[in-house]
Amino acid sequence: MFLALKEIKHAKLRYSMITMIIVLIAWLTFILSGLGNGLSTLSAASIKNLDAHYLVYEEGSGSKFSKSLISASLKEKIDAQSEVEDSALFGSAMAAVSKKGIDEKTDIALLGIEPGSFIEPKVIEGKKLDKNIQNGVLANKTLQDKGYAIGDEIKVDSSTIVLKIVGFVENETYNHLPVLFSTVEQWRAYQFAAPGANNGIEDVVNAIAIQAPNLDAENFSEKIGGIETATKSQAINGMPGYMEENGTIVMMLVFLVAISAFVIAVFFYVLTIQKTQQFGVMKAIGAKNSFITKAIVSQVFVISLVGILVGVVLTYLTALVFPEDMPFNLDPTLVVLYGFALLLISVLSSFVCVRQVSKVDPLTALGRVE
Amino acid sequence: MKRLEVRNMTKTYDEGSSTITALNNVSMEVDAGEIVAIIGPSGSGKSTLLSAVGALLQPSSGSVIVNGKKIETLKEKELAKFRLNEIGFILQTSNLIPYLNVLDQLLLVKKMAGKVSSADQQFAKQLLADLGLEKKLKKFPNELSGGERQRVAIARAFMNDSSVILADEPTASLDSKRAFEVVQLISNEVKKRKKAAIMVTHDERMLTYCDRVYRMEDGVLTLQS
Ligand SMILES: Nc1ncnc2c1ncn2[C@@H]1O[C@H](COP(=O)(O)OP(=O)(O)O)[C@@H](O)[C@H]1O
Ligand SMILES: [Mg+2]
Repeated sequence: MFLALKEIKHAKLRYSMITMIIVLIAWLTFILSGLGNGLSTLSAASIKNLDAHYLVYEEGSGSKFSKSLISASLKEKIDAQSEVEDSALFGSAMAAVSKKGIDEKTDIALLGIEPGSFIEPKVIEGKKLDKNIQNGVLANKTLQDKGYAIGDEIKVDSSTIVLKIVGFVENETYNHLPVLFSTVEQWRAYQFAAPGANNGIEDVVNAIAIQAPNLDAENFSEKIGGIETATKSQAINGMPGYMEENGTIVMMLVFLVAISAFVIAVFFYVLTIQKTQQFGVMKAIGAKNSFITKAIVSQVFVISLVGILVGVVLTYLTALVFPEDMPFNLDPTLVVLYGFALLLISVLSSFVCVRQVSKVDPLTALGRVE
Repeated sequence: MKRLEVRNMTKTYDEGSSTITALNNVSMEVDAGEIVAIIGPSGSGKSTLLSAVGALLQPSSGSVIVNGKKIETLKEKELAKFRLNEIGFILQTSNLIPYLNVLDQLLLVKKMAGKVSSADQQFAKQLLADLGLEKKLKKFPNELSGGERQRVAIARAFMNDSSVILADEPTASLDSKRAFEVVQLISNEVKKRKKAAIMVTHDERMLTYCDRVYRMEDGVLTLQS
């Protein structure tokens, strides 16, 4: 630390520029991970929010809501199983809505749930869903920005259905769209308006969410028959495009971090090479390799730590000026994770330089001209 | 037992087909409180001898014995320790650490051995005062004159209170007035602190401060006076 800090102090400009590089890399990494996280939240937030352990789909649907139609009557059989604590019906549909006085139609996801069930989200404004208000819906808060308010009657495109907003919820998106939660019956009225659309299944739903902490999924599916049982994370991965999208984001981040590692390593390497002569001097007056190693590694550690912390601060500042509807969601655990990854990479890359140090011949200190 | 002995040292370099004999059966002795000079033409092997004594390179044959201990028996790790504790190298001016101030240049030596005590601080200041640098403690190398830098290098060589002081052309970059001062300072410190010192020099005028003078010629060392 002695050498490391003295040197930084003495060559402020040089070291602040190197720190700047780390800051920029950290900043970029955090912004990208925030955007990536935001995007994946957008595509499946409502499923992530489900307070369920498993979801039951039609057999052969591959855990996709759009391919699964089952009868609500299965619920009785499911509830009768000893492992199951509770269950709730679930249906999804895509629609466009509009209201008087707003020209533009808004794409939404219409999710049908049972009022009062454990998957009903927390209302932040207005009232909960009510069995007796058949056309009542809970809307995602972002619809407020589009001009929708509690009590509004909204028209569902290509149908005669008129819905009424009774309350607002937050962070509820599905397939990148804001969600309207309605009763299962209302959802059915929209989704299966055409005769035969329900494949002739009585009281059809897409899936049944269940709370059952200790469930043997395979065994369970067999017992009930005609269904498949997926964990919540399998259900999320089954969302259209979710895996592909996430894969793209992860690839971007992996490349970013890998290339950053290389850039950082090259910087520190050049820095070390420039100091070969000094290391020779130190060795000639008795420095062990470990002494010089400690100086280098601790210096890299300090620079990287400062750079990453500044990067975090910058990221949060940037998040403040991002537009409201930008899908930016900075998960603190991700920030810590990527922060540590960058720190680790820097410190490891400095060990490449350390190898160089052990090769320095103290004879160089004599400054003999060959 | 002498403080420092060199016995029958030979060093050869393989240069492709030919071999260069940089040192040819060199023997010498230096006792505590003695400063000896080595003179000789360029390329005669003076630096090679100094490097071997300072454990910076390994002779092809022969021994260096410091305080009765043969240094060829030391392992790599112990060599660093040996250099730290037993050898004070006076390097050329450019060999100060650019980002350390004068006081820290000296304290670095102690840092390498572990912690810096307040006694070490006192000792460093004392040494620098001896060399007339008491007003320059916080200066960086680029703020010092050539003579001052060389005096810092001398102080640094004495900092670890080693048995042996080695100086390779310490006056090479100085004008003759400064050169005299510097050699005189080295000589004084060697006497005062009872070191065994070897100084390589080009400049025959410096020899008045030395107890004995050896001449190096084509790797062969002979006592001149
Ligand atoms: N690493 C080396 N490889 C080959 N030859 C060397 C090497 N170091 C020194 N020599 C040779 O050894 C001889 C003595 O060099 P040196 O000790 O530097 O002389 P001086 O210090 O008296 O000028 C020279 O001929 C030089 O070319
Ligand atoms: Mg020489």
